Amino acid sequence: MILETQKLAKSFGGLTAVHDVNLHIQEGELVSIIGPNGAGKTTLFNLLTGHISVDSGRVIFKEKDITQLPPHAISRMGIGRSFQRLNIFPRLSAFENIQVAVFSQQRKSRNIFARASKLARHETEAILESVGLLDKKNVTGGLLAHGDQKRLEMGIALAVEPSLLLLDEPTQGMSPKESGELTQLIQKLVRERGLTLIFVEHDMNVVFGISDSIIVLHQGKILFEGKPDKVRKNEEVQRVYLGDERGTWSSLLRK
Amino acid sequence: MNRLVTTLNSHRFLLLLVLLLFLFIVPFVMKESWVSLVNEMLVMALAGCALNLMLGYTGMISFGPAGLYAVGAYTTAILLTRYRFPFAIAVISAPVLAGIIGGLIGWFCVRRSAVYFALLTLAFAQIIWTIIFEWYGFTGGDNGIVSIPIPEFFFTISHCYYLTLTVVGISLLLLWTIVQSPFGKTLQAIRENPGRTEFIAIHLRRYQLSAFVLSSAFLGIAGSLFCIFSGSVFPDYAHWVKSTDMLVICLLGGFYNFGGPIVGSAVYIFLSKIISKETMFWMFFLGVIIVFLVLFMRNGIVGFLSEKLAPALHGTSRPSSDEEAQ
Ligand SMILES: Nc1ncnc2c1ncn2[C@@H]1O[C@H](COP(=O)(O)OP(=O)(O)OP(=O)(O)O)[C@@H](O)[C@H]1O
Ligand SMILES: [Mg+2]
Repeated sequence: MILETQKLAKSFGGLTAVHDVNLHIQEGELVSIIGPNGAGKTTLFNLLTGHISVDSGRVIFKEKDITQLPPHAISRMGIGRSFQRLNIFPRLSAFENIQVAVFSQQRKSRNIFARASKLARHETEAILESVGLLDKKNVTGGLLAHGDQKRLEMGIALAVEPSLLLLDEPTQGMSPKESGELTQLIQKLVRERGLTLIFVEHDMNVVFGISDSIIVLHQGKILFEGKPDKVRKNEEVQRVYLGDERGTWSSLLRK
Repeated sequence: MNRLVTTLNSHRFLLLLVLLLFLFIVPFVMKESWVSLVNEMLVMALAGCALNLMLGYTGMISFGPAGLYAVGAYTTAILLTRYRFPFAIAVISAPVLAGIIGGLIGWFCVRRSAVYFALLTLAFAQIIWTIIFEWYGFTGGDNGIVSIPIPEFFFTISHCYYLTLTVVGISLLLLWTIVQSPFGKTLQAIRENPGRTEFIAIHLRRYQLSAFVLSSAFLGIAGSLFCIFSGSVFPDYAHWVKSTDMLVICLLGGFYNFGGPIVGSAVYIFLSKIISKETMFWMFFLGVIIVFLVLFMRNGIVGFLSEKLAPALHGTSRPSSDEEAQ
């Protein structure tokens, strides 16, 4: 098991955003988390990566308790993430966006004497290539199209060579075509690099297309978890996925 | 015009050489009063570039650079005057002490959000100013320290000028190396999006503190150089007005270019010379400059020029600082 949480909980004021969540993620697994808006998906990611403090419970990554660690330490241990809202370095070029992360991975960020432009070129270009941005490497990050910025953000996360990657709605705001392409890319990258992936996604085609297992989160609790066909066969969830997505969630919410 | 600009840019190296040559012959072709003006430009160019390591490269807006500049100046002044230290040691101690004090101040400041960071740096600079102003026995209070025993060799204005030129040149070269390094690139990423860097395993506060310390050390060098040139130090060096000078120099030349503060310093010091700095008119004029820059030339003189050049050079332009500020 690469990641485990024990009764992980977080509330904001009176609102319990994450409620005693127990995760058991196996190495190499491709897990998706689904659930309506406000279900606590992003909050869960924030707890796993040290972005916000945990109220109670524990996070265990590779057999180490990382519950209290700051984000930089967690990310150094091998958990990478992307964000739901675009989160890149807008005025740096696509190349530099990735290069800064590669420097960090290679423990070169503290070097004050070398010339950055001559270092880690190869590694940086390899990442750009794998996320399909090599031909746009000199474009300012903030000027890339939305879909490309999403790819760039994924590249930044990959550059740190995580063993566990958390992607928060990687295809959000993309056209079906773009989204399909990116999904294939994600699948390919994960298999190639032997990554474990947990991703949050609203597009059910993507979710059922690539997940090894699916976790349904609702009001901070795990409502159901299992393999895609099980989720499909599950009466509750089945009823849910017959309608359109919005209808889906409202039926879940009514429960 | 565009072609001219393209040519200029591709001959950057040549331009630099011409500038260096010009700076080198200044004492031969100019009156002493102008030599000391160019000297001041050099010192303030260094101070501006040092501040800009925080401001333009790391995105930390400090309102108190003059405090550390004064630490550098007073370190040299006091070591020479009170303790009769060898000249070289008195000079080298300036960046060391400024760096250490910068580290202490920075330690309190870097964990704050932008507004509190700005206010705290201002407050610390005012504390430094107050200490200098009140501690008559040690700092000379509002009388400052005059007739500092600098080596006689540097009494000759041109000798002193060459010392400034050499030290500023080496310091700027070091700063340039730093901003071009992986560390410098990391600082720029921090400026762009500090929160994101933590998730690529960057210990954010440690990098911000390092930038603070480096910036302080270079401000200390600038202070020490000015102390040597003028042979005296005054509490004014630490005053917030001096900090404003440095901030305006960065704003005027442009934050997002290494050369910005250098151009900014030359223009600013020149203007302050022809419009006497002590008059009300200067204050009014300064106000007008700031308003104009913020409204119409966000990226300063150098930024403005290179924005005009960039399309001619690459067929792409950078977004203005406004759009991606969020
Ligand atoms: N920093 C915060 N302060 C207060 N409340 C918060 C905070 N972050 C999240 N919440 C609340 O916690 C709940 C869960 O939010 P979260 O962002 O985790 O949902 P989500 O499942 O990611 O939703 P979406 O699909 O819209 O992204 C929401 O009700 C949200 O308003
Ligand atoms: Mg979310």
